[in-house]
Parts: sequence; structure tokens; C-alpha cells
Amino acid sequence: MTSGFLRAFLRLFAVQGAWNYERLTGIGMGYAAEPLLEDLKVSDPGRHAEAAVRSAEYFNSHPYLAGAALGALVRAEYDQVPGAQLSRLRTALTSPLGALGDQLFWAGLVPATMAAAGIVVTLEWGVGAVVALFAMYNAVHVATAWWALRTGLRSGMRVGTALSESWLPPAAARAGLVAGALVGALLPQAAAWLLGEQPLTGLAVGLLTLAVGLAASWVAGPRVTAVRFGLGALGAAVLLAWGLP
Amino acid sequence: MTLGPAATITALLGWGTLVGVDLVSVPQALLSRPLFAALGTGMILGDVPTALRVGLVLELFALDVLPVGASRYPDYGAATVGAVVFADGAGAWPQSLGVATLLGLVIATIGGWTLQWHRAASGRALRNQAAGLAAGEAATVARLQWRGISGDIVRSLFLTFLTLLAAGLLLARFQEDNPRLVVVTAVAVGAGLSAALGGAIRSAGRGARLWALTLGTAVGLLVLVLQ
Repeated sequence: MTSGFLRAFLRLFAVQGAWNYERLTGIGMGYAAEPLLEDLKVSDPGRHAEAAVRSAEYFNSHPYLAGAALGALVRAEYDQVPGAQLSRLRTALTSPLGALGDQLFWAGLVPATMAAAGIVVTLEWGVGAVVALFAMYNAVHVATAWWALRTGLRSGMRVGTALSESWLPPAAARAGLVAGALVGALLPQAAAWLLGEQPLTGLAVGLLTLAVGLAASWVAGPRVTAVRFGLGALGAAVLLAWGLP
Repeated sequence: MTLGPAATITALLGWGTLVGVDLVSVPQALLSRPLFAALGTGMILGDVPTALRVGLVLELFALDVLPVGASRYPDYGAATVGAVVFADGAGAWPQSLGVATLLGLVIATIGGWTLQWHRAASGRALRNQAAGLAAGEAATVARLQWRGISGDIVRSLFLTFLTLLAAGLLLARFQEDNPRLVVVTAVAVGAGLSAALGGAIRSAGRGARLWALTLGTAVGLLVLVLQ
């Protein structure tokens, strides 16, 4: 099982490679599981065939944490856990791994990293600082993916307990606070850096657009997404700029 | 070092494809985020300052997006490449940034649609291989996986080609000396700020994160005053 660890780990970076609405990341999970199941092919070919079918079934989670489920499911296959129990584990892991990963990365470290990079850009600290933030984020990304796969392989059916007692839940809660603070700090910096050289009219138009955008999303809710508002406002502005005599 | 036109276009196509694939398929390393995608494009073009301004405005829009599971979201990677190419060729950024942002948003929206088509195509391929999957054939799983990744490479390459074409066509008609273009830039920045602030308020809810957001904004303003 350990012989295929590195190949499985690398394959997890493409766990969403064949994402589809039928099995979501199931195919990516099956592809990543294959190196870990190779020993089972020799020791128990019948079980291996069943495991191969199960490994590519419906699954979804945050991609960086998919290794926790993969490791746990593979370990459980070697431990001869009944198939029905494995399917239940697979289903049970979907929500917590998705929620924890979304909270830690998509709603936490990603906005925090991008806001920090934005601040660094507005303070004109140079390209090196931006690249360093990119590297730091990916160091956390790779380390988390490695930890998740190892934790899954070590814990098997007890992976839920291992995850809930780990560093993950408190880190996920704190990441949101850091993201909130950094995005907050970015906004005035970005406004000054991008509008600071504008004439008074430009500054007024920029701030007016900001107010109208917030009001539109407040009044109309999710129907007026940021992109839709941006397209509408910019489309009108371009037409006026190029169309008026 | 400055690249020749053919080498520059090749590098831009390669970079746009890479950042497009990064969004969902592999390796999800944030290359597809507008700020990082813009930095790479700026390095290829030899104009990092303009690229970072375009990247930051589009990043403000991207901060509103939570790319969760099956949700639909714009694809900013290749779109940013085209927006930077336009801004680099259009002259001074106060005039070009607004139109570059509009181009970026249009291509990002189209990119989001292509992502849905790609996912549907992966689903069709999966149904065609149902027998192999039911038999637990490793070769079938590998074929589907590589088909999915290859499809995303083609999708991202097409999107990059489209965005470069659109940037080129816009540049041919662009008149830098139009004084009203600075207002378009102001609209772009205002809309981006409203996207980032709206997204931040939504994510913050009413808990501690709202306090963190408020505190961060206060610190940002203080730094601005001290500067």
C-alpha cells in the first residue's frame, strides 16, 4: 500500500480532472486510488476488483482534502471492511471534507492570500513579494494534501475522528478572520492605488459606481452578481465614452 | 530580454492554457487567480506594472466568487491574459484599464460557460464507458481521467486564443486619446471594489469575521493616511 503513496499523492492534484455531474470527482478518486490498490491485486484479486469499482464511484469533497477520504477508503479495503460500510463512509465524508476545505481554503486562505498579494502590489513591494505569497500558499496546499492522505491511510474507518481532533477545524475557523481582515485592509489601498491618479470626476464616478453596485446587490440579491453588474456598468460607460460626439 | 512576436504569442497561448487548466483540473495552485495570471502575462510582455493594475481590478471581481463544487463561476485565467495584452498595447493605463476590464469580464463569463460544456462532455464520455467502469477496469478510469484533462487543455487553449483575438481586434479600433476613457476606468475600479466589498460582507455574516473586516478596513485607511 505504501509503495504507491507518492504516485497516488501526485495524482490527487488532478482529482478534479474528469469532473462531471454524474460522479463529480469520482473518476479522479479512482485514478488516484489505483497505485495504492496494487498490492491488493496480488494478495486478494477478488477484493481488488470490487475495490476498483468502488473507488471510482460518486464522490465530492474539497480537492486538497480528498486524500483523507482516499487514504481511509483504501485502508478500509485492505482491512476487509464490508462494501456497504465503505459506501456509507464515502457518503459520510463528502460533506465534512467539503465544508472544512471550503472554509479553510476557498473562504479563508485563498482570499487572504490574494488580498495580501493585492496589498503588496499597492504598496509596490515588488514582484518578489507577490511570488513569495504564491509560494507560501502552495506550501500550505501541498503540505495539507500530504497530511490528508497520510491521515486517511493511518486512520481508515476512524478518519472522521482523526479529522475532527486535528488542527483542521480550528484553523478553518481562524482562516476566515484573517481573510476578512486582509480583504478589509486591501479595499482602501486598492481604491487609492487605482483611483488616486484620476481627476476629481473620475474619483467621483468610481465611488458612485461602488455605491450603486452595493445598493444593486443589496436590493436585487443574487440576481445581480458582481460580474453582471460590472458588465452592465462598463458596457454603458464604454458606449457613452465611444458613442457620444 | 524581449521575445519576438511569434515567441510572445506562443508563450501567451501556453500561459493562458496553463492558468485555464489550473482553475479546476490540475494543479489548483492559484495560477488562475487574476493577480497571478496577470503577473505571468506581464512578465511575458515585459510590462509588469500595467499587468498588475489589470490583475488587481479583475482580482477584486474574483474575490466575490466562492468556487465551490458544482457551482457556476467565471473563468478569469485566460480572460486576464487577454485583458493584460490589451492594456499593454493600448497605451497609458488610466485610459485602457476600463476597456481591458470589460474584455476580461466578457471572456471570464464565456469561460464559465465553456466549463459547463466541458463538464457535460466528461459526463457523456463517462456514460459511454459505463461497462468498463462497472467491471472496475483501471484502463477505463485512466482513459476518462486523461480525456477530461485533455478536454480542459483544449478548452483553455481555445479560450486563450479567443481572448487574444478579441484583444487584437479591440486594439485595432482603440483610440487612446479619448478623454472619457478615464471615466470608464473609474467605473471598472468602482465596480470591482463593490464586488470585493459585497463578497466580503456576505462572507462575514454577523459574526467575528465582520469585526475582522471592519478592523482590516480601518487599518487599511490608517496606512493610507500615514502614507
